[in-house]
Formats: sequence, C-alpha cells, structure tokens
Amino acid sequence: MRYGFVATIVGAALLTLAPDSAAGQTAAIPRMPDGRPNLQGIWQVLAPAAWDIQDHAPRLGVPAGQGVVEGNEIPYQPWALKRKQENFTNRATADPESKGYLPGVPRIMYMPFPFQIFQTPTHVAMTFEYAQGVRIVYTNGTPHPRGPIEWWLGDSRGRWDGDTFVVDVVHFTDQTWLDRAGNFHSEALHLVERYTMAGPDHLNYEVTIEDPKVFTRPWKMSMVFYRRKEPNVRLLDYVPALLMEEEQAAQERLKGN
Amino acid sequence: MHTRLVCRILALGLAAAPSMAGAQTPERPPIIAGCPTENLAWHTCALRRARSFTPPRTASGRPDFQGYWRSRLTQSFSVEGVADNHPFVKDPNERWDVGAPEIIEPADRKIPYQPWATRIGREGVNFHQYVDPRATCSTGGVPRLALQDPSQILQPPTDDHVLWLHEDHHQFRVIAMGQRPPVGQEVTTWNGVSRGRWDGTTLVIETANFNGYVWIDDSGNFYTNAARVTERLTMVDADTIHYQATIEDPTVYTRPWTVAWALIRDATPGGYELFEEACREGDRDLPLIREQGFKLYYGIPWRFR
Repeated sequence: MRYGFVATIVGAALLTLAPDSAAGQTAAIPRMPDGRPNLQGIWQVLAPAAWDIQDHAPRLGVPAGQGVVEGNEIPYQPWALKRKQENFTNRATADPESKGYLPGVPRIMYMPFPFQIFQTPTHVAMTFEYAQGVRIVYTNGTPHPRGPIEWWLGDSRGRWDGDTFVVDVVHFTDQTWLDRAGNFHSEALHLVERYTMAGPDHLNYEVTIEDPKVFTRPWKMSMVFYRRKEPNVRLLDYVPALLMEEEQAAQERLKGN
Repeated sequence: MHTRLVCRILALGLAAAPSMAGAQTPERPPIIAGCPTENLAWHTCALRRARSFTPPRTASGRPDFQGYWRSRLTQSFSVEGVADNHPFVKDPNERWDVGAPEIIEPADRKIPYQPWATRIGREGVNFHQYVDPRATCSTGGVPRLALQDPSQILQPPTDDHVLWLHEDHHQFRVIAMGQRPPVGQEVTTWNGVSRGRWDGTTLVIETANFNGYVWIDDSGNFYTNAARVTERLTMVDADTIHYQATIEDPTVYTRPWTVAWALIRDATPGGYELFEEACREGDRDLPLIREQGFKLYYGIPWRFR
C-alpha cells in the first residue's frame, strides 16, 4: 500500500515535469481576458540585490551574491563613485532604509519581501508588504504629470510591447538608494522597466537606469521574480518606521517600570 | 494646557495635506442620491433606493465599483456624535467638535462598550493620554480609512481580488474574493486581512487579523486585535455607494454595532489620480507631540486588559 502510494507520486511527478522540459521556455503563461499576459499574483525576488546589486562576497548578515547589474560595472561619474564609497562606509546610519522610509524604485522591487500585482485594462497596481508601498501604473495612455514632482516611488506610466509590460518612471526624490551598499541616484532618475513572464510562475524584470546627474550613461539590471505558491499566502504588513517606534516605545516602557 | 491644541493643529495639517490633489474638507450636503444625509435616515433611504437600482457591471458581470470615491457625509469627531452640551465641547484647550452620530445601530447610537471600556474610549482616557495613531503616519484603519481622503477601487477582470487604494498615507486593502484559507490569529496587521464575497449586488468584506493599534475616530474610540469588521458596499446610483461597517469585538463590546455613510464618486473634470502621500518620510511633528507628554498607542494599555 505504502509503496503503491510512493509510485503514484513519482508517476505524477514525471507527468508534471515532462511537458515542462519538452516545452522549455515556451511554457504557457497565464493571460487576462483581453489576451494580455496576466502578471497578477504575489511575487518575490530571490537574488540578494537588496544587500548589494553588484557581485559581492558574504559579509556578516549579508548573503554572498552574484550581481544583477549588466556587466557588473555601474558607470558612475567620478564624484559620484566617491560618494558611493562614502555611502558604503557610512551605510549603517546613512542608508535611508535605516530610517524606515519608502525605499524608492527600483529598490522596493527587490526588497526581500513579497509584493502583489493587480491588473485591469487601465491600471496595473503593485502593493508591497514592505513599508506599505503602492505603485499605481496607469495603462490608459495618459502621460506623466508635469513636474517638478518629488515622489518616493515616482510616477509610473505603462504600455504593452507585445507580451512585455513596459513602465516609464520619473519624478523621484534624491533621498533613496539602490541597495544597502550605498549605490544611489539623484532626483533626475528615469527608469524604463520591462516585465516579461517566463512561464506561469516566473516574471523576468529588467530595468534601465538613466540619471545624467550621477551616471555617464544608462545601465541595466535584470532579475527574476518568483511566484509565491503557498496556497495560503497573503500580503501582510512590514512597516519599518512603525516597528522602530514600537520597539522604542517598548524600551521606554521597560525603563519606566 | 495647549498640548492638545498643538496636537490638533498638527492633525489638521495632516488632514489638509491632500488638498494639493484638489481635495477640500467635505461639507455635508442636505441630500445625496435623493436621500437625506443624516446617517440613520441616509442608511434607511439609500438601501431602499438601491433595491430599484441596477448597478453597472464589469466585463465579467460583477457590480462595478471602480473609480475614485470619497466620503461626504461625515467626519464626526466621534462615531457616537458629539452633542453641543458634551463637557469636552466647552473645554477651551481640548475641544471636541460637535457632530452627528455615524452609528446607525444599536438604537441609542452609542458604542455598546462593556463597562470597563467606556471610560477608555467614550470618556477620553485614550484621547487625553495618547497620540491619535493616525497622526503617527500609520493608518486610519478600518473603517476610518473609508471616512477620509480620496480612495480608488480597482476590480481586476479575473474577479479574484478587489483592491481598495486610499490616498491617506498610501494605505491599501487587498480584498481576496471567495474562500481562502484562514490566517492565524497571531498574524496581525494595521488594516487587517480581508476576504470578500458578493451578496447579490453588495460587496461584503470580512476583515480580521487587526493589530488593534488604531482608533475608530478622532476621539479615541477603539477595538482590539480580537475585532472582526464586516463591511457592505452597495451602489445606490451610478455615483453613490452606501457603505456600512459592523464591528464585533467580544473583548470590548456587549454586542456588534454598525456605522453607515455615503461614498461619492469623484467627478473632477479632466480626471483624477491618487497622489503619493508620503507621511513618515517628512514627519517632524511626532517628536513635538511626544514632547507634550502624549504616549504612543499600541492597543489599549495592558493595565486595562
């Protein structure tokens, strides 16, 4: 009885695997009623880009990582490279993450927390467990509002290029970083993001980063978002600023008692 | 004692922030969707009218709630209303604003507090000792979010979720439609974990897993992490939603109770979009409020439990 059960599981596993290996990268992707790829679901990155978007050795509390930057080099202007190195040295206190602020884009995409995508014909909305961030991407053909506007998560306008969802993002602050290693940008940041389903549970993410105040040329990052498949998975809360306050209040209470 | 004055000015500052998006402090019109706007009269009339209204449908055939919405009826200082002879109305430093009750049930339009909880919520213990949690850049919570700044409802055509976005401190509520595995009670969140279903043309949202760190209104009325909130959204006409929320919390109340108000479609010419209302990123108020001696609120104090 027990052996039969195991055999059935193995058989089922083979059946499930076979079509995938045969179909390779053309595995069917979910689609919306209008035929567009269906990007909806709860996604999370696995690459340790949150710590450092470039190749890096492990440090205490930091997993080793292969970078997500194309060619691994970030084309900083000379002054900016110096600033990046200072940021790295002072990262424990200088990183805006240490204040619990919204982490900016693209950083919020690869924080080690899940986010959820919703899609209608006129909007793609992204909600983030980290810091209760929200990105509303308008797909109704409207242009960016006239600036200057300094938003923590920018202003996003999207369109479809075949099966790839392309998002143009502008109107940033200069207060956010790109990772915990001090990589940074200015308020002149301009992003072009490309989201392409690579199968039902994998979403390829590529972002072109342009900032003439900080870099000598545009450069690219790419990574994969993985679908959270747990049947009970829900987007929860991780609000760092409020957790910091709560922790501080708990300490004060302890001292007071 | 100008402490509260400082606090209230700051709170007003926060409330005024979205005015750059074109929002104005709403004033109560006498009639909305053909119904008087006193909350109980509104509730009765609007639900009656809704019965003869056929709501617009999404492509998938669901009632279509999509668009931009804001509350117009209310913003009372207390959901119980504040009578003009209320002692706090006369306090020059800690003045509560006179207002009509938002509670439509029970009939006395008071929160059915258990005796121990009355003085904490209704009689000002919370209000006098703690910072309104909303002023700390957290969230209005449920149902207070639905009373505040503009919001947007999105309904993906896959019918598996409804997303309710609030401009207020970029809060959002993910409403998973249909049966979902329950979430363990230790998993607490600011706005709760919501499941939705359709009851005819009414969107029913059931929410639990609250952290109990929010207030229900400006005056400090409260629930705990044991609360469950059931909201019902029904279209009365193409531009009006009847909103009601029933709050249960057996640790605080003797019975469930219900608030109701209207949500009105924003018809700003040329369209409307939610703006990013980053709050804690620029918050310099909280340290000032705390210097005045107000404590941060993390649920009703342990000594009252």
